[in-house]
Amino acid sequence: MIKRASVARRTIATPVILSVILLGFALLALWAGSKPFNQTIIEIFLRVILVVGLYIFIGNSGVISFGHIGFTCLGAYAAAWLTIPPMMKGISMPGLPDWLMQTQLPYWGAAGLAAAFAAVFALIFGLILMRLSGIAASIATFAMLAMIITIYSNWESVTAATSSVIGIPIVRNIWPYLIGAVIAVFVAWGHAISRTGLALRAARDEPTAAAASGIDIPRERLIAFTLSGAVMGLGGALFAHSIGVVTPDTFYLGLTFTTLSMLVVGGMGSLSGAVLGVVILSSLIQVLRWLEKGMQIGTSTLSIPNGLQEIALGVVMILILIFRPAGIMGNNELSWPLARAEKPDHGGA
Amino acid sequence: MSLLALSNVTIRYGRLTAVRNVTFALEEGETLFITGPNGAGKSSLLRAIAGVVPPAGGRIDFGGHDITGRAPEDIARMGVSMVPEGREVFASLTIEENLLLGTGMHAQARNWRSRSASELAAIYDTFPMLKDRRHSQAGLLSGGQQQMLVIGRALMTSARLIAIDEPSLGLAPNIIDQVYDRLIALQAQRSLTLLIVEQSSTRAMLVGGRMILMRGGEVMLDGDARAMGQSEALQAAYFGYGEH
Amino acid sequence: MAGLLQTLFDALSLGSLYALGALGIALIFGVMRLVNFAHGDVIAFSVFALLWPSVDAVAVVFAGNMPWFLLVPFVLVMGAGLSVLSELLVFRRFRRANPATMMIASFALGFVIRYFLLMLFSSRPKSILLLPTLSQPVEIFGARIPLLQVITIVATILILFGLTSFLRRTRYGLEMRAAAENFTMARMLGVRANRVIMGAFALSGALAAAIGLILAAQTGTADIQMGSAVMLMAFIATVIGGLGSLPGAVLAGFLLGAASVVMQVVLPAEARVFRDAFVYGAVILVLIWRPQGLLSARGTKERV
Repeated sequence: MIKRASVARRTIATPVILSVILLGFALLALWAGSKPFNQTIIEIFLRVILVVGLYIFIGNSGVISFGHIGFTCLGAYAAAWLTIPPMMKGISMPGLPDWLMQTQLPYWGAAGLAAAFAAVFALIFGLILMRLSGIAASIATFAMLAMIITIYSNWESVTAATSSVIGIPIVRNIWPYLIGAVIAVFVAWGHAISRTGLALRAARDEPTAAAASGIDIPRERLIAFTLSGAVMGLGGALFAHSIGVVTPDTFYLGLTFTTLSMLVVGGMGSLSGAVLGVVILSSLIQVLRWLEKGMQIGTSTLSIPNGLQEIALGVVMILILIFRPAGIMGNNELSWPLARAEKPDHGGA
Repeated sequence: MSLLALSNVTIRYGRLTAVRNVTFALEEGETLFITGPNGAGKSSLLRAIAGVVPPAGGRIDFGGHDITGRAPEDIARMGVSMVPEGREVFASLTIEENLLLGTGMHAQARNWRSRSASELAAIYDTFPMLKDRRHSQAGLLSGGQQQMLVIGRALMTSARLIAIDEPSLGLAPNIIDQVYDRLIALQAQRSLTLLIVEQSSTRAMLVGGRMILMRGGEVMLDGDARAMGQSEALQAAYFGYGEH
Repeated sequence: MAGLLQTLFDALSLGSLYALGALGIALIFGVMRLVNFAHGDVIAFSVFALLWPSVDAVAVVFAGNMPWFLLVPFVLVMGAGLSVLSELLVFRRFRRANPATMMIASFALGFVIRYFLLMLFSSRPKSILLLPTLSQPVEIFGARIPLLQVITIVATILILFGLTSFLRRTRYGLEMRAAAENFTMARMLGVRANRVIMGAFALSGALAAAIGLILAAQTGTADIQMGSAVMLMAFIATVIGGLGSLPGAVLAGFLLGAASVVMQVVLPAEARVFRDAFVYGAVILVLIWRPQGLLSARGTKERV
């Protein structure tokens, strides 16, 4: 029987290495001292939280969820409700209950509550969705996202519908975002080496054998779904604080596509892959953004048409899926020594 | 020239080697049984011949052409018809539709039904119980009837080689007798070459013909079924006495 | 009576759109176990194929001035063509992949198509005048029903009949049904895998184009997102109907259309904007009661 402590000791290198990499990015931002660059790094940290959140569910269960950004939306608006000054809230979202209207919390408290809020909904939705087969569940998560966005786009008194909700305190400091990303990474790692994570991966690889061994597949999926919902909620809250404005449309197909592609490219079954995917594709996106704005070459401006960014992302995703469907990291994790180590439970064909 | 020739065929699933360096040849008109315990690689061998699983090594020739790793539909059109384990009728299609599927490669797009009519009549002659229910769904048939159906379906393809994987699986002994009776009669009638995977070597010895015994992915014995049945070599090879 | 009739036609015509969409998904899922998330973008593409690329708010229609009996086949061919192209370029590489991988790939492909359209046409909806004679109302038993609705319903019924006949009476149809049930066994009987799959894609693409035509005529606009709303309902319909079951998909499509219209009528005015959310909620209830869908399909059970 593998002792929990020794598994933890063996694999802790992974989250530590990833955190060091992220720390490196934070230090880079501090050293560069430029506000736009700072914002870019914050974006990367936010994406790490989201993609790691996706990994907790998709990577371990093998069920593709198209709906997780819905939890991000829930978390972002929850943070808005909890941190916007009461007077502004009264104007834009008059329908909020009194106790909520009067509340104004510091952003880190709000973030925690937002994560919990998202987790509660993940639990509720999950109870229904996890009984469905893999493909049906995926489509159902799509419907769940649409449902959330529809409600948030129309409930004027509580969410200001499609108008932007402004007044969220902006946090420009890079450290909270780094901390959020590191928390996400460690939560994902903790879940992965836990009994429920192991059981879920067993069910992912061999559902019949797993069920026959007594694993309650819907239950394990539900746990991962709820946990990942919490992480997505945390990401949503921090997202809100990074730009100070939220609208429902931000949390729909575009963000879903971006985060999913990062997970796929990095490696669906790997925590390191999630982080790596964010880093690689964020760089690609940044380059394409510069190109779209236009680069000065000599006396002329070279620029690419609008929309090419998403096309490039899509093509990259398809190519990876054709030639390396397990992503860049496959099922492996970054470990120490820097040679890639296989996950403890990964063996056999 | 042999109708079917395998040379050093190796089949792998990921890191698992299911079949290792198997070599044998089958002449036109022969009946060859492949027998052996579970996991011996018999089904994998048949699937490689049918094109469902590409061999990792070696070569398969049919009628003088190299069919190694070719697509199943191409191999079928060359004259190999496979009846897989578990029968695999198209449950939602009718009996007649199941049978007509076999005629694809020999029919034109138009009036393919009438062209196939004579083929169909011949099959219904051999298996009258199929004719009675020609328009009912194949999923409703009993095991034995389904086995007849899939054999009939294989025959509709006018194949030269019919490969059958475990025809006795899940059938009562008297039904198995009937199935084999028909099979042997059809072979004589149409000069078929039969390649049959049978877990029960007894059946092979009853029917006669040639027999190959496989264990652990390799060919252990290759000879006349009845002669092997008399010797002790068969038991030893099947169960692995005297090894390790 | 007139009001009831109007509601009935609303439900049937909306249900027709959803049923056609679900059918397109179910056809491909049947033979390939692929949920094609790019389907909605084929709808948009088929309509934009009528326009010259431009970012203006009013579309410059080059092909839209054709008489309807040329216009309709043109659009259908464009839809089928894009669909077949996506099979040749993308999905063919995924023959041995698992369904989840293919699903994500189709999601990515959908984005590529959508942003390709965005690149050429910008994201602003364009107004286009398509078959304007269809928007005039017809009198049926005292109710004024838009002619387009009647045509939608009639066209859908014809398509369903046509498809059913095709599947049941032709050789190609037989091969498709066999391949949908057991792809490998069909190949072992000589059924050409690629032909069958291309046929499914072509049919599916044509169905998408038909939806696009109806939407464009209905709303008078061409918008790169125009397929999304219908397709979301269509995906849900395939799940409720039972993945892989063609009749289930069609039935569920009509049910969803009916549910939508009923909600619209029954809900109090303030709640009407949430109509879609209520429909999704009803869907979730159905799924709690029957996770495998209304009509079970063959061949989707794993063989242990």
